[in-house]
Amino acid sequence: MKRTRGLAAAIAAGVLLIAACSDDKTTDSTTAPSTGDTVAVETTVATDDSTAETVADTTPVTDPVAAGWTVDTDNCVDPAAANAPIEGTIKIGSAMPLSGGAAAAAFAPVKDGFEAYIKYANEKGLLGDINIEVTIEDDQYNAELTPGAVAKQIDAGVNIFSGIIGSPNNLAVRDTLNDNCIPQLAALTGSPAWGEVADYPWTIGQLVPYPVESAVYAAQIAELYPDGAKVSLFHVNNEFGQYYVEAFKELADQYGIEIIGEETVEATDSNPPTAQITNIAAAKPDVIMAVPLGAQCISFLNEVANAKAANPGWTPATFLTNTCASSLILGASGQAANGLYTSSNLIDVVDPANAALPNVAEYLAYMGSVGKSDVAATAGAGWTTAEVTVAILKQAQASPEGLTQASIIKAARNFTYTPTLGLPGVEFKMNGEEDPYLAESLVVRQYAVAADGSGTFTDIGDLITEFES
Amino acid sequence: MALFFQRLVDGMSYGSVYALIALGLVIVYRGTGHLNFAQGEMALFCAYFVYQFGEWRIPVWPAMFLGMGVGFLLGSATEVALVRPISKRSPFAVFIVTIGLFTFLNWLDGAIWGNQQLPNSGVGSKQLSYPSLFPNDPQDQWLPFGVSIRYERVGILVLVLVLTGLLFLLFNKTKFGLSMRAVASNAESAKLAGIRTNRVLMMSWGLAAAIGALGGVVQAGLNGNVNLGLMFTVFIYGSAAATLGGFDSPGGAVIGGLMIGVIENLASGYLPKWVGQEMKLGVAFVVILAVLLVKPSGLFGTAKVERV
Amino acid sequence: MKSLVSIREGGLASWALRLVAAAFVIGLVFWVPTSAGAGLISTAIEALTLMSAAMALNLILGYTGQISIGHSAFLGIGAYTTGIFVSRWGFSPWLTFPIAFLIAFVVGVIVSFPASRIKGVYLALVTLALGLVFPQLLTWKKLSWLTGGGAGLPNKDSQLQTTGFNIGRKEGQMLHFEIFGWDPFGDLRRPDNKAAFWYWIAAGVAVIVYLVCRGVVKSRVGRSMVAIRDNETAAAVMGVNLVKTKAMVFGLSAGLCALPGCVVAIKIGSVSPEGITSLTVKGAITFLIVMVIGGAGSLWGPIIGAALYVFVTEKTGEWANDDAIPALIRPLFAWAKVPPGDGIFAVLLILLMFVAPRGIVGVWNQYSSRIVRVLPRPAGAVGPAPMATAAMFTVTDSEGEHE
Repeated sequence: MKRTRGLAAAIAAGVLLIAACSDDKTTDSTTAPSTGDTVAVETTVATDDSTAETVADTTPVTDPVAAGWTVDTDNCVDPAAANAPIEGTIKIGSAMPLSGGAAAAAFAPVKDGFEAYIKYANEKGLLGDINIEVTIEDDQYNAELTPGAVAKQIDAGVNIFSGIIGSPNNLAVRDTLNDNCIPQLAALTGSPAWGEVADYPWTIGQLVPYPVESAVYAAQIAELYPDGAKVSLFHVNNEFGQYYVEAFKELADQYGIEIIGEETVEATDSNPPTAQITNIAAAKPDVIMAVPLGAQCISFLNEVANAKAANPGWTPATFLTNTCASSLILGASGQAANGLYTSSNLIDVVDPANAALPNVAEYLAYMGSVGKSDVAATAGAGWTTAEVTVAILKQAQASPEGLTQASIIKAARNFTYTPTLGLPGVEFKMNGEEDPYLAESLVVRQYAVAADGSGTFTDIGDLITEFES
Repeated sequence: MALFFQRLVDGMSYGSVYALIALGLVIVYRGTGHLNFAQGEMALFCAYFVYQFGEWRIPVWPAMFLGMGVGFLLGSATEVALVRPISKRSPFAVFIVTIGLFTFLNWLDGAIWGNQQLPNSGVGSKQLSYPSLFPNDPQDQWLPFGVSIRYERVGILVLVLVLTGLLFLLFNKTKFGLSMRAVASNAESAKLAGIRTNRVLMMSWGLAAAIGALGGVVQAGLNGNVNLGLMFTVFIYGSAAATLGGFDSPGGAVIGGLMIGVIENLASGYLPKWVGQEMKLGVAFVVILAVLLVKPSGLFGTAKVERV
Repeated sequence: MKSLVSIREGGLASWALRLVAAAFVIGLVFWVPTSAGAGLISTAIEALTLMSAAMALNLILGYTGQISIGHSAFLGIGAYTTGIFVSRWGFSPWLTFPIAFLIAFVVGVIVSFPASRIKGVYLALVTLALGLVFPQLLTWKKLSWLTGGGAGLPNKDSQLQTTGFNIGRKEGQMLHFEIFGWDPFGDLRRPDNKAAFWYWIAAGVAVIVYLVCRGVVKSRVGRSMVAIRDNETAAAVMGVNLVKTKAMVFGLSAGLCALPGCVVAIKIGSVSPEGITSLTVKGAITFLIVMVIGGAGSLWGPIIGAALYVFVTEKTGEWANDDAIPALIRPLFAWAKVPPGDGIFAVLLILLMFVAPRGIVGVWNQYSSRIVRVLPRPAGAVGPAPMATAAMFTVTDSEGEHE
């Protein structure tokens, strides 16, 4: 499958991602944008195709409730509350950085997308006579503020939480929510910590775990260099980069990868990584595996291009995490982005060729109708998060227990769902302790830049589903 | 060996930006004896303006001069409206005002331009990346003995040196420079000698902020974007440079800046385990502390600054 | 200045006034956890931790005149002491408070030696660099065996992996906090009870910090501190041991500043350089701002400044969204793309420097004295000398910072 995006596409895209990344505090949370980005939409297309709207009720099929994993509510603070039927209105709470530093603007589209889908779900009556109400508190991406934000919402009678952004932020409220048997769905970070089903049954992560993405790249590197590859690592020195690289190192032997160098960049560093790339270039690796964030993605690509020009004959393959793979970042990098590898699991909504797909068109049209066309390109992460949340609620509603906090988490942990904006074959699956992670399928893609500066993604091989358990 | 020279060149490239910030600090210090903690944020404010001028399709060089003009206005207004009246109270009050200005300007940048980095086509920027003053395509470099010397970095260094030369002329060969030195050495007697002290002080703050603005523009150009955290660490490196060079020596500031850039880069390159990227700031910290303890006047400062 | 009423310090009326003030404060302190919801209690916890840090800073800056913009590092030492001792070595979180105090105290004393040779804004520069370096130290490869690097703690190598280090989390879960059979909080897993529990820890820390500050300030050491602030040379001449006094105050200030760090770590259950804003320089600047706005060199200044800061930022937190701004003042703030909190406080800070350099408390003292004036005891009686002179805020030629 080949996708082209024009330069114009870059204009509409990637706010979320690039902005997210610009923030010096972005840890894992930038993975939120990663999903968002790939769902990016070209705004102009949105208006053009608004006629293609209602292809409604392509609402993906959810499995009927499986009888597998169940949750034990005896240890809940208030077992009765956990099993009490939710009627009339279900209240969803969340804590996101809406102010305070770059994280705020970065994640604003997540909020927009999230709220837009909930509005959509209410209009379509996806939960029958149950109305969905959302409150999103501002924690400024500072974990010190998250417990307060969550406590306030519990006071206000919130039934479940969804889409809290950031690892420390989610960690800060995990105990409280698990003790009180309040589902903490769709934690927007890719930390492996969200797979601890036995200890924290009520907490679920939304993003592809960092180790899975690492493994996908390791496998692809092994395929490109069957005789073994020399790899240099470049990563941001925070939780996000650290988990990523640790996972990659563990897999290296298995895939015949020799790691010959590791360079880091501080998330707060405002100098371009000239020195780091000088060190990498001196070692002349076959592959650079890069885990930068935001604006540092751009300066990384530029410095690599400079180093290549300075070292004729050295043509390393560059692997870049999909947090960087927004058309905006890659577009801003120009020719420097040519030939890099990355990955994705969602449809590229920026691509005009995809605009006619019913799901994409409906998404674009709806975002237009709520006056959010401008962020449609980057609101996909929030949209998909809310979509999964509502799908879980719907499944819980259909269960014999009806809609309760317990049935919601039970539904979530016995869950199979095809997201509307997912690539063909992508399934979000969770199955008790066997499969605690929602999203684990990715396809590797290569980015090519034409002479006029327009970029093209080409899928390399099929969707990799082997990490789904 | 090529690697050593490459690291040297990289370090000097980082250092030229520190030199610009240090120059601004030194000029203010010479004039009024204050350390301007808002120097970096003033530079950032101007860098945002240059981005804005770029959006209005003003070419980068004129935009840069306009940005420096904004800096001049900002700096002199700060001196007249805030620093001059408050410095009658105490140095502590001046310090608090510069901290307040630091916070305020950073907030103001966010309030006007939002807190994402710019340009950012997601928020409607027309430019793809922050304008660079010199050609900066991957091919724009010389390669003597395999060492990459990029036009952009050379250009910045030349700019810094030319600026230092001009400042030298200004300080030593003009009447204004003479008054500046008179005010710096003894404001009271300068006043008695008929020098318009107030105007001199206003001009030095303006000049300092204008030079800082250039530093902001250069740093944003090297990164390809401007963002709210751009000058945070650079300010500390610049302060380290000014400390090392001596707080009242413009030449010292430039040499100090280049030295800090080279030292931290060699240290992180050759001691990846001990210094690495994460402790580059540690190098700046050690330099500041060591200089202030051992030789407070820095390498080139006059003994007057001593007794810190 | 004329006052309507004059009362004598130590007299009946003065005690009555004190009682009323104390009753009001104590009433407020008790009202919050018993009557407010978990949301307001949590806001109060934020205010309490901020005011503890600001009070600690006040000791060194407000009273001794040594500028520090690096106190976030000491708060970070507190947070990481709790994080490391609990998650790596299984300590009880209670124990980490005194340990954190001791570690930060020692670090503070060590810092004081170079610091006592550096004056004025240069000290500000050094401490700013210290504040910036501290988070880097946490991500330093050489220390990651201890700190967990950029990812922080708990991590997969730590003894405690799957839980945070909430008090009582070590062996199984603490459901109740009982003092000799008295269970003041009830089931601690409930959000309200948990918030109240944390609140009392934070309040306890704030009270301890306040009492220590008060004790120090009103003691002989306190007079030495003020003497150093007002005129270092004169203080030395009068026999104040500069190095020893500064070392002591630096250590105390650092140690006290570590305590709210422990509270933060316990509250959020993990430590990382990016998760805790208070341990970055932004935190240190906030401590400084609230302290100066409240009133540097006064015991109540940091308390009032911190409460005001948390209250205002909380109220204006959503003002980036124009609809959230009250209609009356919307035109004032609607243009800004970020909430106005930081801008308001920056402007307030600068304004206060012009009109009331001794902060809100200074203004209060000035105006309240027009109504009620407390006359100091006759000379020779026990009690502190009136010492909150505004020397730091007026020209001091002898300070030698800029000659």
